[in-house]
Amino acid sequence: MSSKKKIVLAEDNSTLSLLLKFKLEREGYEILLAADGKVAIELIEQHQPSLILTDIMMPFISGLEVISHVRNKLKIQTPIIVFSAAGQEEMVLKAFNLGANDFMGKPFSPNELLIRVKRIIN
Amino acid sequence: MNDFQYLIDYFKEYPILIKMVWIFSGVLFVGIIVLIIILKYLRSRLRINGKLNKTYKEKYESLLINYLYSGTEEEGISPDQQSVINQLEICIKDKFKRKIVISSLVKLRNEISGEVANSIKNLYLQVGLNNFALEKLKNKKWNIIAQGIKEFSEFQIEEIQNEVLKHLNHQRKEVRDEVQLYLVKLFNFEGLKFLNELKMPLSEWDQIQLLEVLQRFKNQEIPDITPWLKSSNDSVVLFALKLSQIYNKFDVIETLIKLLNHKNKIVRVRVIETLSYFQDIEAKIILKNKFDNLSLEEQIAFFKLLENSFENTDQKFLLKHIYHQNFEIKKTALKILKILDTEKFNSLKDTSEDPSFVKIFNFIEN
Repeated sequence: MSSKKKIVLAEDNSTLSLLLKFKLEREGYEILLAADGKVAIELIEQHQPSLILTDIMMPFISGLEVISHVRNKLKIQTPIIVFSAAGQEEMVLKAFNLGANDFMGKPFSPNELLIRVKRIIN
Repeated sequence: MNDFQYLIDYFKEYPILIKMVWIFSGVLFVGIIVLIIILKYLRSRLRINGKLNKTYKEKYESLLINYLYSGTEEEGISPDQQSVINQLEICIKDKFKRKIVISSLVKLRNEISGEVANSIKNLYLQVGLNNFALEKLKNKKWNIIAQGIKEFSEFQIEEIQNEVLKHLNHQRKEVRDEVQLYLVKLFNFEGLKFLNELKMPLSEWDQIQLLEVLQRFKNQEIPDITPWLKSSNDSVVLFALKLSQIYNKFDVIETLIKLLNHKNKIVRVRVIETLSYFQDIEAKIILKNKFDNLSLEEQIAFFKLLENSFENTDQKFLLKHIYHQNFEIKKTALKILKILDTEKFNSLKDTSEDPSFVKIFNFIEN
């Protein structure tokens, strides 16, 4: 059984997902990729990750709905970092109200994300 | 054969109208069949393209990630990176594949900052994609030119500035928009120097877009806007007026006062509004003295200025205009009067018999 800490990464930009997966895997984390909110919820329910990274705007189920599902339905306190684009400040506030722990505005530096991930997980 | 002959003979005996209906139905039937075949072909082609697109996208994404993470600590290109560059150089010769490579790079470039973003830009240059974008700038079609400029803007290629500037006064607004955004995104406030050369109009939407981009920069030190206030392009003057207000350029008030005599009424009104924001007393005195010679729009704008900078000495002027034919002026004059001299305001209210006038009094009081 793997002792690596699991991170669910919900992001519809496949290139960005791949880049972050590579970066975080090199640091010893196991990354579970979700291209939309629906898959993200399935992965969270199946794997109980140590951290959730989610974009706000995604097809089918948004990042806000993912946070709401985790906090209100699954009732788990897994740390959540949200990614937001410029002009989504209100969405970020909603995400915090729903229970997100941190946010990163796009465009962001993968190195900075790694620092935040390490800080939250450890 | 006999059967067909029988049908042909039978057909020939029909009246002309029935014959025409049969021919029309036949043509329609053949047309529908042809259309179905074409649609089937197009659909299958789209599906094949979609599948190819997905396959190539995955391939290039993985090459891109390989490139980004196979760099060495020292400057220069590692052998692995060189191998990625070689592979991509071959791929981009094909237009379809080139489009997918660019789209993958752009998608990542827009969401990432820092060292990785710089590496993406380096890859774009090393593979030689900038040469294809440069070719686009020489194209006759406006949409291709706009695409090329947008690409340079997305990858922040500063070196191409002079080529982009050649399209500053392009006939198509879309191309001009891309040029302006390229300059401002890459060179911040320095990029605004294109305003010196702009001959074409800068629409309200263009101005909003430029202001939005400018507000994103950490360094908010704006260069001297006086030359733009003196521009022969009225839309540039209007944009400079917005800049003066947003960035509190008190040092241009003298130039603004000179603009009170601008030939364009829209500019003059906007100048009064800007001076009103700066609460400039000198402008108030000038405009008050030539009030009767101003257009109605300027007079309304002046009363808004007066609302921000009135003094006791303005009372006589206000009393002269409380019966002005324009509602806005009448209302503002009474509103200021109420603050300056409540007794006078009340006495006017009590003596007034005109119901519409009384309504204004009641409105101001509430």
